[in-house]
Amino acid sequence: MAEPGGVRLRAQGLRFLAARRNVLLLLTVWSLLETGQTFLSGYAVARALDRGFLAGRQDVGLGWLALAAVAVVIGAYGTRRSFDALAVLVEDLRDGLVRGVVRQALAAAVARPHLGESAAVSRLTQQVEIARDTSAGLVMAARSFVFTAVGALYGMFSLAPVLLVVVLPPLAAGLGLFLATLYPLSRRQAAFLAADEAVAQDMGTVAAGLRDITACGAEERVASRSGRLLAAEAATSRALARWGTARSAAFGVAAEAPIALLLVAGPWLLRQGVTAGAMVGALTYLTQSLRPALQNLVHGLGAAGARFTVVLRRLTEAPATAQLPRQGQAQPQPQPDPALPAPALELRAVTFAYGDRAEPVVRELDLVVPRGSHLAVVGPSGIGKSTLTGLAAGLLAPRAGLVLVDGESVSATRMDGQSLQRVLIPQEAFVFTGTFRENLAYLLPGTGAVPDPVLMDAAAAVGADGLLRRAGGLDSAVDPAAFSAAERQLLALARCYACPAPLVLLDEATCHLDPVAEARAELAFARRPGTTLVVVAHRISSARRAQRILLMDGTRTVFGSHRELLRLSPLYRDLVGSWSRDDLRPSYPAGPSGDPYGVHPVARTGLAGDRGEIVAHRSVGQIERPRDLRNGGAVGAE
Amino acid sequence: MALTADPDPTRRSAGERLATRQLLRDTVRSQAGRGLLLCLLSCLAAVGTLVLPYAVGRALDALLLHGGTAAAAGWTRFCIALTAGMLVIDVLTGLITGTTDARTALWLRGRLLGHVLDAGPRTTRRFVPGDLVARLVGSAATASTVPTALAGTLAAALVPLGSLALLLWTDIWLGAVFLAGLPLLALLIRTFVRDTGDSADRYQRAQGEIAGHLVEAIGGARTIAAAGTVPRETERILRPLAELSRQGHRMWQVQGRSSSRVVTLVPLLQLAVLAVGGLQLASGALTLGGLLAASRYAVLAAGLGSIVGRLNQLVRGRSATDRLAALLAEPAAVYGTDPLPAGPGTLELRGVTAGGTAGATGGGTALTGIDLTIPGGTSLAVVGRSGEAQSLLAAVAGRLADPDSGDVLLDGVPLRALPRRTLRRAVAYAFARPALLGRTIGDSIGFGRDAADDSVHDADALVTGTLVSEVLVTDAARAACADDFVRRLTEGYRTPPAEAPMSGGELQRLGLARAFAQVRTGRALILDDATSSLDTVTELRVSRALAGRTHWSVPGPGAAPTRLIIAHRAGTAARADRVAWLDQGRIRALGRHEDLWRRADYRAVFATDAPGDAPAAGDGAAAGDGADRGDADDGEADRSG
Repeated sequence: MAEPGGVRLRAQGLRFLAARRNVLLLLTVWSLLETGQTFLSGYAVARALDRGFLAGRQDVGLGWLALAAVAVVIGAYGTRRSFDALAVLVEDLRDGLVRGVVRQALAAAVARPHLGESAAVSRLTQQVEIARDTSAGLVMAARSFVFTAVGALYGMFSLAPVLLVVVLPPLAAGLGLFLATLYPLSRRQAAFLAADEAVAQDMGTVAAGLRDITACGAEERVASRSGRLLAAEAATSRALARWGTARSAAFGVAAEAPIALLLVAGPWLLRQGVTAGAMVGALTYLTQSLRPALQNLVHGLGAAGARFTVVLRRLTEAPATAQLPRQGQAQPQPQPDPALPAPALELRAVTFAYGDRAEPVVRELDLVVPRGSHLAVVGPSGIGKSTLTGLAAGLLAPRAGLVLVDGESVSATRMDGQSLQRVLIPQEAFVFTGTFRENLAYLLPGTGAVPDPVLMDAAAAVGADGLLRRAGGLDSAVDPAAFSAAERQLLALARCYACPAPLVLLDEATCHLDPVAEARAELAFARRPGTTLVVVAHRISSARRAQRILLMDGTRTVFGSHRELLRLSPLYRDLVGSWSRDDLRPSYPAGPSGDPYGVHPVARTGLAGDRGEIVAHRSVGQIERPRDLRNGGAVGAE
Repeated sequence: MALTADPDPTRRSAGERLATRQLLRDTVRSQAGRGLLLCLLSCLAAVGTLVLPYAVGRALDALLLHGGTAAAAGWTRFCIALTAGMLVIDVLTGLITGTTDARTALWLRGRLLGHVLDAGPRTTRRFVPGDLVARLVGSAATASTVPTALAGTLAAALVPLGSLALLLWTDIWLGAVFLAGLPLLALLIRTFVRDTGDSADRYQRAQGEIAGHLVEAIGGARTIAAAGTVPRETERILRPLAELSRQGHRMWQVQGRSSSRVVTLVPLLQLAVLAVGGLQLASGALTLGGLLAASRYAVLAAGLGSIVGRLNQLVRGRSATDRLAALLAEPAAVYGTDPLPAGPGTLELRGVTAGGTAGATGGGTALTGIDLTIPGGTSLAVVGRSGEAQSLLAAVAGRLADPDSGDVLLDGVPLRALPRRTLRRAVAYAFARPALLGRTIGDSIGFGRDAADDSVHDADALVTGTLVSEVLVTDAARAACADDFVRRLTEGYRTPPAEAPMSGGELQRLGLARAFAQVRTGRALILDDATSSLDTVTELRVSRALAGRTHWSVPGPGAAPTRLIIAHRAGTAARADRVAWLDQGRIRALGRHEDLWRRADYRAVFATDAPGDAPAAGDGAAAGDGADRGDADDGEADRSG
């Protein structure tokens, strides 16, 4: 394999094998039993004929054949034990691959949390299994050929060394041809696999998008696009078949030609003192031992080898996504002002975008969140509220500007065991299979025992105590699949509460709770001594609980109290209008027969001429501009 | 979609069996010449395989008896010619088999894909997408081996049966030993092989645990990233690895045991034949060459089992063809040729009954006698409790599905009578969960238009270039409030959809943008729950853009398109000019939302307020506390470069 990937794989493979010399030795020893069996399969026949049946001594003939039968059984034992050695090789390889896939998938997920997990699961279950099966097939085919060939050739040598003069040249020529075509053939095989996958992927897109294709009237366009992929696949398949002829030829030369040559050279061999039995023995070696071993080698090695290489390369390649998306340069440390205590969170002229060519989500944002305060972040969906928490938590690095937590540049990396400065709970609560204790103590430093009351109090504070009680206490098992979304969020909140980090970032962490439960959880954090709370709010009640509200709208932000924002921002009024409904039905059971305007205020605003009131994106800016709230920068920190 | 798959797509009618036979015949016929050639070659090779041991035996006998005489030389020459001939035949057979399989697969897939595209969503009603892919990829590959497998069957049977006959002909006793020994040995070996394998189960369970833990951790990636617990998570995920390894070892042990027994069968049988043959040789009943040939025939005859394998392959091929024929059984949509006269885009449903045929609605209610007229340029919201056939109504209204009876007319012309292009340029759809089909986001937005629409005639532009003018795409995106977030993607409009992590709401906005672009010169727009994951502010902006058509840099027709809106929110219904209330598959009331709202039973329709279709995971919209909250920021935070 000329390309760097091939070199890397080969080096890794050699290291892997070198570390398992003992296993290889064991494999050799057991395989030698098969060599012995192969040896006797021809040798015993030759002797049984020469010294037994042809010499009129049937007992001797039968004795040799019985010996060969015993060898068959012993050889089979060798086959069986060689699987033990094979198991070590293959399972070690699989262990390594599973570890690699898990590490890689986790690293990629941490770097880009939103790209799905299906690829990782398919790598873990399907591709690793392909690597496992093909590697075993390769080892067994190569092994069986080598040890069979040694047995057969040594057998011929023992019967009459001149036999090798006739047999070896075509065998070597055939093998040489096979080895020469191995690389081009495996390239064709890899090309075919790639084309086949492309077809499968395309078919998947088409099948999932049939409705959309029809609705767009794009049938012909899709047919021609897919047709190209199909034709490309067929072309690789034909190329593979053409190269396969070389394989058939190699097999013919190596397996069949020696038989014919043996007959051609027959008179000469007989003159050299080769016996009739030896001739039969040699022919037996060629047809019964070498032929099947060659067949396995030639047909197995080509296809399985390419599959193995392709899958292995894919599994071991470090994906480009595996690093945290840190961009820009290292953050300069700020000059601390000793006179003032540093705020819990401070953003200085922060600009952030999700790619070099992408437009910024956050532009030159200044923000100060003093210790012990409570900030709500609001805005339409997709506007960058979660990006803000990601920046504050150090998960994202700004393109420009500074993010300071407790006066220090924030960092995402932390050694296990250190205490956290800040803790972030995202919308998708992380609950894992294990006990409640493990789940609740997850963010606590160290692995030492955590006193029960700490965990119980945390659960009680955020309202997860009922859940804990129903499940049966701290040591009962957590089955994430059995939890409702709200229960998962409660558990995550309790975990966060148990952790002493002073800065708490709740990114829609309560979105599945009802307003009452949400209020309880938020207030628990707000009242916890020394806690600074930043909440990405999705209900007006949640926003109103905060002292200050940051409204995000595109790259523009408005900052102020609830009243100020109501007065200043039409967008905020829109949000409040559309949100109120949630808060006006705290426990839902009242049903729709109640006050329709209370339950469904959208109906009211709709009827009241929302087209005039709700202002589109651009108009917000236009309205704001006269009030001097326009620029992308902050309207002001505290 | 509410049009879910038939619960039992394997049910077969006489027509489908006929379709299978027809497809099978077509498949074989498509490769008739090559198949015949292959059959001929493989039979020649089989005869060669059978003759060769005999010839080698005769050559050996001649050699041993007469030394280098003419007789020996003759047989030897014959063997050489035979070997060389068989080599050539082998090479040719391999080549023709490989290329024929490739041709058959291409032919089959092309035909099926064309049909599936023509049948459109009618197909996905019976086959879920995963099943469809499995058929188009896997089943087609299996079915494509039918012509070559059929061609080789005769030869495959010829070799072992011929060998057995030749063995019996060479010496009746040898044949008897073989026939007696085969079942005996097979039985002996079978008793030794005990099925010890629950290890495979446990192996898969451990694998499943690791995968499960990994999926959990990936789902909680943001938490893990923020807490810096990657090493601890890795350790936790890999905890079942030891068990996996243990069971893996056991699996190989089991396989080692069984294969060690299998490898004894043929050699022992052959030794038995040799032993009896040796005795015959000593008594002069058999020559040495005869013995050599007999031992080879014993091995070849042991391949009897492979005939079963060969037949199995054919059976598999047939059942794969069966699965393909089921796809063809779904009728393709037939389009008309009538022109569409100028008009405002009045959409009219006349006595439409749909979903009556089995499986068409997946348990949802069907539509019965729907009469509706949506005057050109106005909007109509269709509301109803979840489970009502709103999506079916939407599908019928733009001819994604055909009604069982009744007609849908656009400006007086039945949709059935319109050519495909005309229809799709006139009526556009937006869905709750659109599938993005272009190579880039921009391409996906322009997917409802094609080269002809924008007078680009270069065929390559279809594949490589930007199909639709960028202005049109960005205009449409802006109208759907998608422009902002698309620009923030790593590659902006050039980002491939698969690399752009999107929330349900963002996906919907792209689907809306696509519909906007498509309907720019069209007449009607059908929104099937297409704004359910938008927050209310965004939804307002989108519906304003819809009603106004003010967003085009290049002006299109001035009037707004006719809109049919499947709505689950009261707010959405309130903004429509009129509301059709669907109940039990019939129109229960038709009027303005504010009038209908006075009725308690109408208000009750919105009580649960849950969308009929499952929303995107993480949308949280259907989680019980009000669908209107929408996708409220879900997922946008997790995008990264």
